[in-house]
Amino acid sequence: MIDAKTRDAYTVTVGIECHVQLKTKTKLFSGADNDAREAAPNTLVNHIDFGLPGALPVLNEEAVRLASKAAFALETRPQKFSKFDRKHYFYPDLPMGYQITQFDEPIIVGGQVEIIVDGQAKTIGITRAHLEADAGKSSHPDGKDYSLVDLNRAGTPLLEIVSEPDMHSAAEAKAYARELYIRMKYADVSYANLYYGNMRFDVNVSVSKTSELGTRSETKNLNSFRSVEKAVEYEVNRQIELLEKGETIVQETRGWHDAKQKTFSQRSKEEAHDYRYMPDPDIPPIVLDEAYIAAVADDMPMLPNDYRDIFRKIGLDAKVAEDILAVPETAKRVARIFDMAGAEHARRVAFWLLQPQDEEVEATDDSADSKGSDEQLVALSDMVASNKLSSTAAKEVLTELLKTGDDPAKIAESKNLLQVSDEGEIAKIVEEVLGANAKAAEDVRNGEMKAIGFLVGQVMKASKGKANPALAQQLIKKQLGL
Amino acid sequence: MAIVKLHFMMAGKAPTLDAILLPMAKMTREDVLKLAKLARLNLTDSELDEFAREFTDILQYVEQLQTVDVEGLDPTNQVTGLTNVMRPDEVIDYGYEPAELLKNVPTVQDNQLKVKRMIA
Repeated sequence: MIDAKTRDAYTVTVGIECHVQLKTKTKLFSGADNDAREAAPNTLVNHIDFGLPGALPVLNEEAVRLASKAAFALETRPQKFSKFDRKHYFYPDLPMGYQITQFDEPIIVGGQVEIIVDGQAKTIGITRAHLEADAGKSSHPDGKDYSLVDLNRAGTPLLEIVSEPDMHSAAEAKAYARELYIRMKYADVSYANLYYGNMRFDVNVSVSKTSELGTRSETKNLNSFRSVEKAVEYEVNRQIELLEKGETIVQETRGWHDAKQKTFSQRSKEEAHDYRYMPDPDIPPIVLDEAYIAAVADDMPMLPNDYRDIFRKIGLDAKVAEDILAVPETAKRVARIFDMAGAEHARRVAFWLLQPQDEEVEATDDSADSKGSDEQLVALSDMVASNKLSSTAAKEVLTELLKTGDDPAKIAESKNLLQVSDEGEIAKIVEEVLGANAKAAEDVRNGEMKAIGFLVGQVMKASKGKANPALAQQLIKKQLGL
Repeated sequence: MAIVKLHFMMAGKAPTLDAILLPMAKMTREDVLKLAKLARLNLTDSELDEFAREFTDILQYVEQLQTVDVEGLDPTNQVTGLTNVMRPDEVIDYGYEPAELLKNVPTVQDNQLKVKRMIA
């Protein structure tokens, strides 16, 4: 293992290519159904996907629209002119012998995203993003001498987003991957389901002791934020160890072995380097006019940074804001309630609905099918604000509300949770509590105000949480003659 | 590199003798070997020599295009003048059954294309 000092002498440089599957109904160049998740092998295919002679691919307009939306999510605009090219290589999952992609004039040029690592904000540049058709999916049965290819995925529209080599640590690489994910999800251009490989990351890693970049390796097909982080970490260590031994880094493509948490060599890059790009004569260029681009801009949903602004106004700290953002249904709801009822209610609802997120995993959408309207949540929040419900009781009502969608006041009533603000009733309980806790009462009388919290707690307990705590405290003081 | 030029050649007109004699493009045996490797073709020794010679002839034939004055002209990627040829995002039934398509595949197993193992 290398020590920290040796490691610190090297500058780490990371660039990431991310393949985003666009959420179209059909493929990029054919009318085959694009939802291959549950389909039997080779059922969502046609002569175009099979690359049969004479088949004419025709561009899907929705893929162009989604790529244009992605441009705005990457803080730029789609190019007015872009075109398709053929990238030639032979592989069993590529029936045509070339991939239709965009080489020198892609639909997105430039752009940027911000990440925050250890409290430090940082801007990562986007070099470009281009549309291309996905290849088929291959599997390799254990112990056999063959592989099997399913072409259902062949032709699925991908947007390949290429970053500048602006990241300098595994943590930054992970933060960037997550930020891209959340932006694509909110821009609604992809289902962004990592389990189904809707987003796949290739990380280019190099290390160097000088200002010149070192030789890089490319680790392909990472499908989680954690594996992006771990693969970068592994490559940094591997490369530094090699260099420290006086060896050289080979420019190559590597794979990620998730069970072993290691990268492994797949093929040297030189072999496949010559892709013999040429303009694709089948697909006429895309020309987007100002009106089209303006219409896409108008149609953009709220993006993560818009939500972050709102969450800041509500007074949520960055970590809480990110946790809320990880569940789009919740984020949207909090933003709506902010609009409808203001910061105080929005903040309370945000904390109610907050599910601490494991940032390793992608967002879950379990709140999507929870019941309870925005109005009901505000009504519940109102009951807390006006002391009709304790915050503990409110959580109990909330659980029921999200399950049934019943009126929160009725739920509180039927569960007997409404706070008692009847002085006489609480005074009786206070009397009992003071009698049973003479020592604490004495302490309070002698000015040890810490003990009053304990007494209030006892009153709450005796009243099964229904006493209004502020009133209870008042009455304790009163009865102790303070 | 060579492929693009080949396409131009097929669309080209008959060359003049001058043009053929001017250029000196050459395709070596190693160039052919590399191209064959990328195209997954196994060529015999005599084929390598033969194609190196023929490709050189073809390149030299095509190279006469280099003599054309293209000053002020944009590169032409397409000649149709079409743009934005797109279709709506709706599923199309082309009338091909998967089984019919799979008939074009040399070996099929469990409705998948069976190929030489790609990875170890």
